[in-house]
Amino acid sequence: MPSRRRTLLKVIILGDSGVGKTSLMNQYVNKKFSNQYKATIGADFLTKEVQFEDRLFTLQIWDTAGQERFQSLGVAFYRGADCCVLVYDVNSMKSFDNLNNWREEFLIQASPSDPENFPFVLIGNKVDVDGGNSRVVSEKKAKAWCASKGNIPYFETSAKEGTNVEEAFQCIAKNALKSGEEEELYLPDTIDVGTSNQQRSTGCEC
Amino acid sequence: MIADGAEDEEKWLAAGAAAFKQNAYYMQRAIDSNNLKDALKYSAQMLSELRTSKLSPHKYYDLYMRAFDELRKLEIFFMEETRRGCSVIELYELVQHAGNILPRLYLLCTAGSVYIKTKEAPAKEILKDLVEMCRGIQHPLRGLFLRSYLAQISRDKLPDIGSEYEGDADTVNDAVEFVLLNFTEMNKLWVRMQHQGPAREKERREKERSELRDLVGKNLHVLSQLEGVDLDMYRDTVLPRVLEQIVNCRDEIAQYYLMDCIIQVFPDEYHLQTLDVLLGACPQLQPSVDIMTVLSRLMERLSSYAALNAEVLPYFLQVEAFSKLNNAIGKVIEAQEDMPILSAVTLYSSLLKFTLHVHPDRLDYADQVLGSCIKQLSGKGKIDDIRATKELVTLLSAPLEKYNDVVTALKLTNYPLVMEFLDNETKRIMATVIIRSIMKNKTIITTAEKVEALLELIKGLINDLDEPQGLEVDEDDFEEEQNSVARLIHMLYNDDSEEMFKIISVLKNHFLTGGPKRLKFTVPPLVVSALKLIRRLPVEGDNPFGKEASVSATKIFQFLNQIIEALPNAPSPDLAFRLYLQCAEAANKCDEEPIAYEFFTQAYILYEEEISDSKAQVTALQLIIGTLQRMRVFGVENRDTLTHKATGYSAKLLKKPDQCRAVYACSHLFWLEDHDTIQDGERVLLCLKRALKIANSAQQMSGTARGSTGSVTLFIEMLNKYLYFYEKGIPQITVESVESLIQLVKNEESLTSEPSAESFFASTLRFMELKKEKGGAIGDRYEEIKL
Repeated sequence: MPSRRRTLLKVIILGDSGVGKTSLMNQYVNKKFSNQYKATIGADFLTKEVQFEDRLFTLQIWDTAGQERFQSLGVAFYRGADCCVLVYDVNSMKSFDNLNNWREEFLIQASPSDPENFPFVLIGNKVDVDGGNSRVVSEKKAKAWCASKGNIPYFETSAKEGTNVEEAFQCIAKNALKSGEEEELYLPDTIDVGTSNQQRSTGCEC
Repeated sequence: MIADGAEDEEKWLAAGAAAFKQNAYYMQRAIDSNNLKDALKYSAQMLSELRTSKLSPHKYYDLYMRAFDELRKLEIFFMEETRRGCSVIELYELVQHAGNILPRLYLLCTAGSVYIKTKEAPAKEILKDLVEMCRGIQHPLRGLFLRSYLAQISRDKLPDIGSEYEGDADTVNDAVEFVLLNFTEMNKLWVRMQHQGPAREKERREKERSELRDLVGKNLHVLSQLEGVDLDMYRDTVLPRVLEQIVNCRDEIAQYYLMDCIIQVFPDEYHLQTLDVLLGACPQLQPSVDIMTVLSRLMERLSSYAALNAEVLPYFLQVEAFSKLNNAIGKVIEAQEDMPILSAVTLYSSLLKFTLHVHPDRLDYADQVLGSCIKQLSGKGKIDDIRATKELVTLLSAPLEKYNDVVTALKLTNYPLVMEFLDNETKRIMATVIIRSIMKNKTIITTAEKVEALLELIKGLINDLDEPQGLEVDEDDFEEEQNSVARLIHMLYNDDSEEMFKIISVLKNHFLTGGPKRLKFTVPPLVVSALKLIRRLPVEGDNPFGKEASVSATKIFQFLNQIIEALPNAPSPDLAFRLYLQCAEAANKCDEEPIAYEFFTQAYILYEEEISDSKAQVTALQLIIGTLQRMRVFGVENRDTLTHKATGYSAKLLKKPDQCRAVYACSHLFWLEDHDTIQDGERVLLCLKRALKIANSAQQMSGTARGSTGSVTLFIEMLNKYLYFYEKGIPQITVESVESLIQLVKNEESLTSEPSAESFFASTLRFMELKKEKGGAIGDRYEEIKL
């Protein structure tokens, strides 16, 4: 089989309710921000074309509900993710403390082939709030956490002001591409001798 | 069959997934070789797997997600095809050749997505076509997923403001219409599920419906994300249409969930401006809907909105958010006749928290909430639901927590009335919470009026309540509670003597009528409080303004007498006895002889009538002698009477050694160093001689009763007394009497058999030596003693 050139990269954004997952996605995809808090229901995605090393990719960014009661169907959409973005609010210790849960939950549910090396990216959002005065999670602390989880790349962003959002998603795309999560290889176990597929597959391009 | 359900389902899913993968594989190959016809054929076969009815929503979602991923590849392929010259209109026609309706519609949506992207037709036309076509699937589960697919692929193609698909003909209105239509259809499918299948599977069906709810709610999320849905659009179109659907579907699950969704997905600002409409829908919901949770969450959101954005507060006032919520809650409770008391209380608890956060300066609002709460509770008697009681405690604690100041809570006139609905135990718990709040915040209550109000609140701890039979309060708990009341007394304070006297008078009135068993805890701190007040009073005649002080020491002493008087009736005579002596000392300082004498008399009466235990008598007598010794206020006559009695009591103690010790202690009553008139050497000597006589007879008694020695210690103690007065230079205490006493101890046989007595004696001798060595006048006196 030819290894198809992958053009679709799937990214999942996880984190506590209210940390700004939707805002980050909207800022990156639509360059828009709203100060109003609106809960997300279920899973929702937006796509964005990105250019990387002279190739064009479609980034499929899945925004998720931070509130458990709006995730009634479960997380089947984790499957096939190429990168997982963990988001916390630098002004909320609880949202930082919960990162472990989100990461573990993702690894269990998505069950990537190589969990040790699955690409995560950590984003500390809302650095603009109150000029940084209400911040409770230090950059050092966040970086230490990243180091302990196998050097996860870390970005501090403001979805409101657009600070560092582009850079973070560049990195997310790069890591998704490198992720090595190959699509499930499927070979049909029964081969229909009479069909036209059969004929095509004997003369395959490999 | 049912037991194997889960296992079977796994099998079905595995079978479906296998067939699915195979077709997906061939579809991919067809795409790779740009074979549109085959790609359509295999994708349709692949999508046929979604026609199953055997999977639960969770498993179906699993399969759906696989299809979703594959269809993205197909969509990219379609896009490439159109670039290669394939007409998208033809493509849109072509996909409709699929034999089965479900695959056909999935393919149509996918092709439609490409169609919109190519902009060869207005987005709204295509969207309208798609949402209408989807009516073809009326099976709830399959229909819901198909429409959620439509919602997802159209998500970024809606003619929203600022969207590339917005045009002259395509406006945000079309986008909203499309989403609303899809929402309505989905809700209908979802609600219809409730009424399909046998009644016995109701539980399973409700579980499945619950799992599917986010598919329906997702539409509201999409609406909230539309740029064009501004406040006007929301108020005029979105909210009324959504609410209409919610109210009319008359389905409990849908109503509860969708109300919650509206509150969560749309911004607080919108809610604030449309409160009437949103709240107006609540009483129209089914009576079984858990409206309590819905409204509580709304109030929670609005409170934190106000907390985070101080600048929006004027809007809260402008739209009269508080009274609207208050009214709505009343109406909801009215409409839902069977609403449990817990829900009603919880609603008011949330409303109270809301108003405390949003309008901390509007105490009248808080009082209104309490008033409304009373209205709901009245006629229902005491609450017997434990959780409702707990919630009521939460409600009552909220103002205390908010203001950290009980004084503010005391201004809430309805507050004590709400407390009336608590059972006795909870009343006490609440009272302890109030006291704890005062202690924690070190709140000083400064007026009698406030103290009165406070006592009303904590009366569970102040008064005996009618306890139902068999419900005795735990002894330890009672003690703990009363101790907290005792601590509280020290927080009731005013610098102004007059007000302070009023405060303690209020306390007195409540304590004295609150039942006898708590008096032993509350009277002592009240006595201390009153004594402190006496100390603060200006010295008489020292009043520069010539103003007649309404609070005099005499008045307070009278007060003291009254409260202590209550104690012997509250079986605490020993405590009353001590307090009388304490008051006597205070009267001594105030130079109030008759009052001091009166207190002493009271103490004596208690000693004679109430203190019968011999050990307690010894301790009590020590207190009498000690206190009396410090009294300066008495004239000769009164003093004589009191000392005479004290020596009399001493001689009447049960045990000889106790008698001896008490009698020699009395000697101090006749010789006060700093007091010229009380220096009566004769009577000192008389006391000592009498004590010595008792010691002698004690020795004789112990001689007969073998083994019980100890009288030698008495003699050594006597020796020390003699030395004390000898050193003071009292003429009646001669050097000979000291010497003979030393000789007496030395001759005592038992001295060597008692190590403690022996070392006591040795110390005494060493003390005398030291005095000698020190020299001076005292040294000289010691020099005279021949050892």
